[in-house]
Amino acid sequence: MAVSLRESVQRVSDPRNLDASVEEVFRLMLGIECTCDPGSTIGDKESVTAVVGFGGLLSGACVLRMGARTAMKMVAKMTGMEFGEVDDTVKDGLGEICNMLAGAWKGKVPELSANCGLSIPAVISGRDYCLHVQAPEFQVHHVYRFDEESFEVTIVCDGLQ
Amino acid sequence: MSEIRALIVDDSSVMRKIVERALRQAGLDLEVVHEAGTGSEGLEQLKAHSVDLILSDINMPVMDGLEFLRQIRVQNLASGVPVIMITTESSEEHVKQAIQAGARGYIRKPFTAEQIKERVLPLVRAA
Repeated sequence: MAVSLRESVQRVSDPRNLDASVEEVFRLMLGIECTCDPGSTIGDKESVTAVVGFGGLLSGACVLRMGARTAMKMVAKMTGMEFGEVDDTVKDGLGEICNMLAGAWKGKVPELSANCGLSIPAVISGRDYCLHVQAPEFQVHHVYRFDEESFEVTIVCDGLQ
Repeated sequence: MSEIRALIVDDSSVMRKIVERALRQAGLDLEVVHEAGTGSEGLEQLKAHSVDLILSDINMPVMDGLEFLRQIRVQNLASGVPVIMITTESSEEHVKQAIQAGARGYIRKPFTAEQIKERVLPLVRAA
């Protein structure tokens, strides 16, 4: 029997799945506790965005966005290295964090875990850009904090079979 | 336990370093760590070097981890060497595919050093 999630949008888009995924990845791989902070914003004009696409039963993307300083601090926590700029290692590390977030998030829904693939991460950096998705099926967007840093994680779903 | 020669295959150089660090934290005495960014680079490393342990991601460009596993078998490389998959893919179907392709262990990212210790050390000792 074909697997379908058309009738399960509420379960798939449950925001607690995103919070649990962020908590798990940051605790295990970066050794830090994050708190969801709806009032926070990304202040830094220079920002970095990592994107991992979903394909299969659900199409869309997991998007991790933060300022340049936060990006360096985040990857420093994960690697034990220090960074003075958003270099290839920082971008690689952010892509991997986004990859783990996407994997952890889809793992919360058994049907997605088995029937939704992940793309290779892509990382965008620069100033004054925006990421636009036309008429998503649903979107879950949360801002989190660790230390004095803020970052955003967004799950965008543009198709659910 | 004698010194271990490991091959780590992952398209993320950061993740390769994190896996190496976790292996050392788990108590493995690593003599040398070879690295590869794709399955095909992993095959080249196996043709050039003898190893005692292979850890591989699944989602990689050019040649993914499952095809890498199949090619190890087809090309008769690294016979008897334990291969452990370390990946974000965690469904039973993925685990089954990996085991069928020849993996001896499976670790989901994100992982802890304790998980690496529990799953890697027994395989290395047995080999």
